[in-house]
Amino acid sequence: MGASIALTTMTMTTDVRAAVVARGLSKIYGQGDAAVHALRGIDVSFATGAFTAIMGPSGSGKSTLMHCLAGLDTVSSGHVHIGDADITTLSDKQLTLLRRERIGFVFQAFNLLPTLTAEQNIRLPLEIAGRQADQVLMDRVVETVGLRDRLSHRPSQLSGGQQQRVAVARALISKPQVIFADEPTGNLDSRSGAEVLSFLRRSVRELGQTIVMVTHDPAAASYADRVVFLRDGLLVSEVTQPTPQSVHDMLLKLEA
Amino acid sequence: MLRTTLAGLVAHRLRLLLTSLAITLGVGFIAGTFVLTDTIEQGFRQLFTADAGKVAVAVTPKDEDIPEQVLAKLRTLPGVAGAQGLVRGTAPLLDKSGRAAGSTATSGISVVAGPLDRTNYVSGHAPAGPGEAVLDENTARTRQFEVGDTVTVLDLAEKRRQFSLVGIIDVGVDQNLAFTGAVGFDTATALEMTGEKGYHEVDLAAAAGVSPETLKKTVSEALGQTYTIRTGEELAEKLALDGNVQLDYLMLVLLLFGCVAMFVAALVIYNTFNILVAQRTREMALLRCIGATRGQVFRSILLESVVVGLISSALGLLAGLGLGALALNVMGRFDTPVPAGASLALTPRTIVSGLVVGLLVTVVAAVLPARGATRVAPIAALRSQVEEQTFRAGLARSLIAGLLLAGGLALTGVAIWGLGGDAGLLTAMGGGAVFFLGVIVVGPVLMRPLGAFAGWVPRKVFGVPGRLAVDNSRRNPKRAATTTVALTIGVTLMTLISVITASTRETVVSSLDEQFPVDFMITAQYGRQDATPLLPAEVPATLRALPEVGLVAELRQTDHGGAFVGSLPDGAAFRPEVLSGSIAALGPGTVALSENQAKDLGARVGDTVPLDTAEAGKVDLKVVALIADGSLNEAMPYTVTVADFEKYYGKIGPARVYVKAKDPAAVDASRRAVESALLAYPTAQLSSAAEVRGEFDDAFDMMFTIFAALLGLAILISLLGIANTLSLSVHERTRESALLRALGLTRPQLRGMLSIEALVLGLVGAMVGVVIGVAFGWAALQTIPNETVFVVPVGQVLLYLVLSALAGVLAAVLPARRAANASIVGSLASS
Ligand SMILES: Nc1ncnc2c1ncn2[C@@H]1O[C@H](COP(=O)(O)OP(=O)(O)OP(=O)(O)O)[C@@H](O)[C@H]1O
Ligand SMILES: [Mg+2]
Repeated sequence: MGASIALTTMTMTTDVRAAVVARGLSKIYGQGDAAVHALRGIDVSFATGAFTAIMGPSGSGKSTLMHCLAGLDTVSSGHVHIGDADITTLSDKQLTLLRRERIGFVFQAFNLLPTLTAEQNIRLPLEIAGRQADQVLMDRVVETVGLRDRLSHRPSQLSGGQQQRVAVARALISKPQVIFADEPTGNLDSRSGAEVLSFLRRSVRELGQTIVMVTHDPAAASYADRVVFLRDGLLVSEVTQPTPQSVHDMLLKLEA
Repeated sequence: MLRTTLAGLVAHRLRLLLTSLAITLGVGFIAGTFVLTDTIEQGFRQLFTADAGKVAVAVTPKDEDIPEQVLAKLRTLPGVAGAQGLVRGTAPLLDKSGRAAGSTATSGISVVAGPLDRTNYVSGHAPAGPGEAVLDENTARTRQFEVGDTVTVLDLAEKRRQFSLVGIIDVGVDQNLAFTGAVGFDTATALEMTGEKGYHEVDLAAAAGVSPETLKKTVSEALGQTYTIRTGEELAEKLALDGNVQLDYLMLVLLLFGCVAMFVAALVIYNTFNILVAQRTREMALLRCIGATRGQVFRSILLESVVVGLISSALGLLAGLGLGALALNVMGRFDTPVPAGASLALTPRTIVSGLVVGLLVTVVAAVLPARGATRVAPIAALRSQVEEQTFRAGLARSLIAGLLLAGGLALTGVAIWGLGGDAGLLTAMGGGAVFFLGVIVVGPVLMRPLGAFAGWVPRKVFGVPGRLAVDNSRRNPKRAATTTVALTIGVTLMTLISVITASTRETVVSSLDEQFPVDFMITAQYGRQDATPLLPAEVPATLRALPEVGLVAELRQTDHGGAFVGSLPDGAAFRPEVLSGSIAALGPGTVALSENQAKDLGARVGDTVPLDTAEAGKVDLKVVALIADGSLNEAMPYTVTVADFEKYYGKIGPARVYVKAKDPAAVDASRRAVESALLAYPTAQLSSAAEVRGEFDDAFDMMFTIFAALLGLAILISLLGIANTLSLSVHERTRESALLRALGLTRPQLRGMLSIEALVLGLVGAMVGVVIGVAFGWAALQTIPNETVFVVPVGQVLLYLVLSALAGVLAAVLPARRAANASIVGSLASS
């Protein structure tokens, strides 16, 4: 309990620079006896230009939290602010436009449209928003991801790691306020996973991007600046400047 | 395995629903056809049997009518309790304006009283004397006569005779009487009015204790071979058979459309199973991994199709009952003689053929997809990314398609330039069918370029959703091709019919303009003579005497000695299309021959041909011109001048009289003058060019509407197919849609994307259909020997394109709604 109180205080103090803030966020699936309290009142904030990992045992509510933060799912109570917008008060249409403008996504699998080439996939969010691609940024992103010679390939012609890198590039290209990634390396071997993760970290360092990533893997979490831990729908602890070892220790402590 | 299959069916029941609906509709059409014809037939049979119960033996003539003395002789035979002769001839009824009613004269019949009376009275009673008459229900209604009115009927000498109307009768299923209408008298009056010399049937009642068979034997011995003698039962059987010939024809036409509908349904099923198999690749691979053999996988899919086929065919039978009832109702409304109040007939034949056809079509359409399922390798269960269907036109496909396309074209070519006529038309149809099969085979190859073409505008106009939609429509060419080909069939046939109707209409109109360059035409009512009815000889002279009338030209014709001879109407307006020689050279002792007649005779311009005439004996005529067939409305094998015609055949009445108003601005006035002059000749019928055109128009419109209605079902099924493919594709792309939504595509944009995809599919299907329809419409017209104008009804064809695109969008409404309303999180999680 002590940990969560400390956290709340810290949240308050960092509000000014927060990209995403959640207050008293709770999510209940189902009703009556079948009701599942996936989130039980979470207060958390994610600083701009930081790479934050969310960890916790299976079923602890990580994905749910991410979906609620990203406006993909409705909340049962509480508020979520992305920048100055309280997304819990927005209509579906407004939410969609907000996602378009301010949020990037990387999912665990199935990130790309099979009919489009890698480049078209990368440009897709901009086109949907009717915006022009920033050619300098495009070049830089493509260079960073190391996909220059793969741009005209379709997803089915790319490896899993390459597909995820395309997805990251796509998330970056629209310069969103925050990128949400749900187990982006879950399907990759450790080498491709490392590539994607270091790429994510570089985009935080070099492009000033804000990233919130859900992961199971202590090694993946160690790429982040900060790791927050969930258990039974509650934020229970956090580790800053994580190493694989410190994350692992914290997980063991939580599961005990 | 059986349990897995059934569980799968239950799980996919929604997806199979549209498929079942396709089969249900197809089977419904076929079953409906049988229900309709069976019901009519049974209705007829019941009526005939009821009638036949009153008659012990019926005597009908083989050629000449039965004379009075035979009737008298029959009355004296042992075992005969009563005999009635039935009269049937012509007795033109005049309508309230004093003109003979209808283009064909009313039939005059005798109405008998007593035990042999088979007449059904709607109201009133039988005529009790020479001053009374009855009328059939239909004529009474359309000509607005009621019991108690006085009706006027022309007798043999065309003199007006008045009768008081005492009853309205129902002529039942007698096609002849239903067509002409009937006015009934007592036997003596009927004989007098119609001028018949005998009876067209004599009905006998048997004395107590004498069986119809015994009586038939007695009558046969007395009359010999001159007459056909039947018992009442045999008579009923014969009447029912006569009715059946027409029914068989109706059934054949309907079944043809049923086959088209079933073929379209088969395509829809084939597509659905293909997609279902593709979607269940992993499931199937998993089954194979845990030890299911190829055979088991194959059988599980077939079993699925059997269950679907059986259920939907059974529903189809129900639909058939509904459709049959509907058709009966519609036919009843259009005054087609159908037995009223007959209960719907569901015969074993209907049940068996409905079930068998539905089941066979479903299973056969599922065989290929099932075979595809067996090719799934167990390893496929382990692949994560669903593989995109790639399509390459294989050598086999190209070869088969090439053969079919070339074969279809060759057949059509032969039909046009080699055969012509009916055989040519049938061959051209066959060629069209073969060509179409080729198009089906080559369809997937066409899909990408056509999709790009049809999608060009949406791509430009609708931004990202438009672009994604066009890409989606082209991403699985095989599936898209099968989906659209179903619609193509409907559109092809509609276009074909439109082209043929429009061209024929234009041909008729232009020939009307050319050959009917007059204001009115006067013909005689059909009825008295079997041949072309002739007008009274003095009609032309009467008309010429009118000051309002300009040109009066008469066309005479005869078939004396089997040679059809006509006169060339005077007046420079009538100039047929001359192939060789000159029609201006037609003078005394010369003849113009029709193209065909010249061919038959081997005669050319300058030759002399013999003609057997009525008054001048055998004459030799010099051929001065050959006339194109059908170029003159009444093109006769032989055409001579009016003067020569009179010399050869005497002064007989004209078959037609053409009239032109003296003042073109006062056509109405001259029409009134002609009408009042014709009052003296009630059977002369006046029609104007506009009326003739209107009649043709009505006939064409009617024909077109019927065809369109019959094709409607096939088109409906193909739309179901589009909806089905789309909803299956949408299901397949659940995660894709969720991804797009997560990336910021709004709900309306997602819905729009799917609608545009459907629009492109609909457009592609329609484009192909329109092109083939126009091409084969042209081919069909070429086989018609007469000169025909080729017209493409552009407006109509464009309408088909637009409607098809809209129909596609309509078909996408539900799938698109489902996709747009799905929760993003839930969809992303689904596998
Ligand atoms: N749609 C749903 N309906 C009902 N309960 C749900 C639903 N989605 C999630 N849950 C429940 O909510 C809780 C949190 O689920 P969530 O998916 O957020 O867990 P997670 O931390 O992401 O787990 P994992 O590490 O396995 O992905 C779980 O108990 C889960 O069973
Ligand atoms: Mg999760």
